[in-house]
Amino acid sequence: MIADAVYTVMFYGFSAAVVILALAAVNMRQLLRAALALMGMLALSAALYIMLRAEFLAGVQILVYVGGIVVLIVFAIMLTRSSELLEDLPRTSTRWYGGVASILFMLVACGALCMTPFPVQSNAEPAGDEIRKIGLALLEQGSSGYLLPFELISLLLLVAVIGGTVIARKTRPRNQPFTTGGDLHGEAIVQAARGQGDVTPGDRHS
Amino acid sequence: MQFVHTMAAAAATNTTWTPQTLADRAVDSVPHSLWLTAGYFLLAVVGVAALLSFLGMALIYIERKIAAHFQCRLGPTRVGPFGLLQTLADTLKLVFKEDFVPPKADRSLHMLAPFLALLVPVVLLALIPYSPNVQVADLNIGILFITAIGGFGVMGILIAGWSSNNKWSMIGAMRAGAQIISYELSATLALLVVVLFSGTMSLTGIVLSQQEGWWIWRGHAAGFVAFLIYLVASTADLNRTPFDIPEGESELTAGFHTEYSGLRFAFFFLAEFINMFTVSALTATLFLGGWMPFHVGDWTGFNAAMDTIPPGIWFLAKTTAVIFVIMWFRWTFPRLRVDQLMHLEWKVLLPLGFANLFVAAVVVLTELYPFPLGK
Repeated sequence: MIADAVYTVMFYGFSAAVVILALAAVNMRQLLRAALALMGMLALSAALYIMLRAEFLAGVQILVYVGGIVVLIVFAIMLTRSSELLEDLPRTSTRWYGGVASILFMLVACGALCMTPFPVQSNAEPAGDEIRKIGLALLEQGSSGYLLPFELISLLLLVAVIGGTVIARKTRPRNQPFTTGGDLHGEAIVQAARGQGDVTPGDRHS
Repeated sequence: MQFVHTMAAAAATNTTWTPQTLADRAVDSVPHSLWLTAGYFLLAVVGVAALLSFLGMALIYIERKIAAHFQCRLGPTRVGPFGLLQTLADTLKLVFKEDFVPPKADRSLHMLAPFLALLVPVVLLALIPYSPNVQVADLNIGILFITAIGGFGVMGILIAGWSSNNKWSMIGAMRAGAQIISYELSATLALLVVVLFSGTMSLTGIVLSQQEGWWIWRGHAAGFVAFLIYLVASTADLNRTPFDIPEGESELTAGFHTEYSGLRFAFFFLAEFINMFTVSALTATLFLGGWMPFHVGDWTGFNAAMDTIPPGIWFLAKTTAVIFVIMWFRWTFPRLRVDQLMHLEWKVLLPLGFANLFVAAVVVLTELYPFPLGK
């Protein structure tokens, strides 16, 4: 019974820490610290998943969110110097819209939580079988399968990758319509200032 | 051919392994005595801590000796017999050194970063199967967890660079971050090949699946290519030469840990060396059979002789061999430039990794193993 008590105390301890870190992530004035609080919050919710016997979900949570998204956020903060800038206070009307939207979302979330039945499983399946089942369900075509959403997500990721490449691309090779032109404009100004004559975008290769 | 198969099966069934981890023992002991459970818990914590400090000192000594002999020097010889106590003396010096935080640094983050960097190797040490009965915990999601936890190491390095308020640290951290998240992809693709072959993510499960042959040669070329990709990609993950531009002395003083001194610097140093051990141990576990003895098909006598060597020694020998190779790299290859580094990952290793995964999938699907499966 001591084991059960320890389990319960740990569970509520982790939950409280998750809530505190989530609040810290929203309220911190320094962006990098907010990102760190977010990392702690995501890692501790992975701990909650492990306590609920969803090991695979916990692993994916750390892999995707801590190793991927938070690292990217930190990269963005470090590259843009935005950590030193304080954001402008939003206008009053924007604050009102934001407040109403978040209250409405909270109502929807609470409603969904209250109306969904959560059957309690005392003995969860071991994680090995769980992974196998997830893998099979993702590639199954029938009504219980998730093949279509799975493929749609891969399409979405492909679009994101191509979009990122297009934006990051600096110059425009000839006769290719799908580019933004990048910073050619700025380069043209610099070269014009140097007195090297007029440079039209697209003159330079690669 | 049939005869060879049965003989191999007979040789394989001579020894049946029933691995038991400390976590298993702790769970089993819960109904009997909670003190015993606490004892196992304490044993795990103390064991990992002792291993951490011992490995740190041993590896630094070995690195210095190997480096010295590659350069026709002697290395440490003065402190203790063969200079064995040199790292102990260095450790004592580091412990008593002033722990300096730059005045304009972000103090709390500066102090947090070394702990994040050391977190990864500590957790990994608890997951590695050293021998059938020596492992702290075996997770069902072992491989997934190992790839996932690497994110904390990247965060530690990035925060160290950012919080030092120094441009060398910052540039070093950005380089390290970009390098690690790039090469993690190739390392993970190589790990996936082994997961595909063995059908499990648990490390002990992977070791047990290599009873008939290690994955480095049992998976045809796919296993060997995965081994090579993993070795290269994880050397880059370790920020070791030839991939050590994050702390390139000629350009960045010392990279992300320029502003660290004393014990906190020692933490980064320790994390780097323990990471080298864990990478080597994982390479041995995944591709070289872990603690499994070396067996050759139906050579019953030879296999029996190999079985007399305890599994722990096998694990240690394989890991040491991989560590030696990684140290060897350092004195063989020149340092890569940033663009060469990115070229190697995104245009060579990553396409190769995807192609290799595809080949591995074909091998598994058609069951074209050169050795019989032990099903």
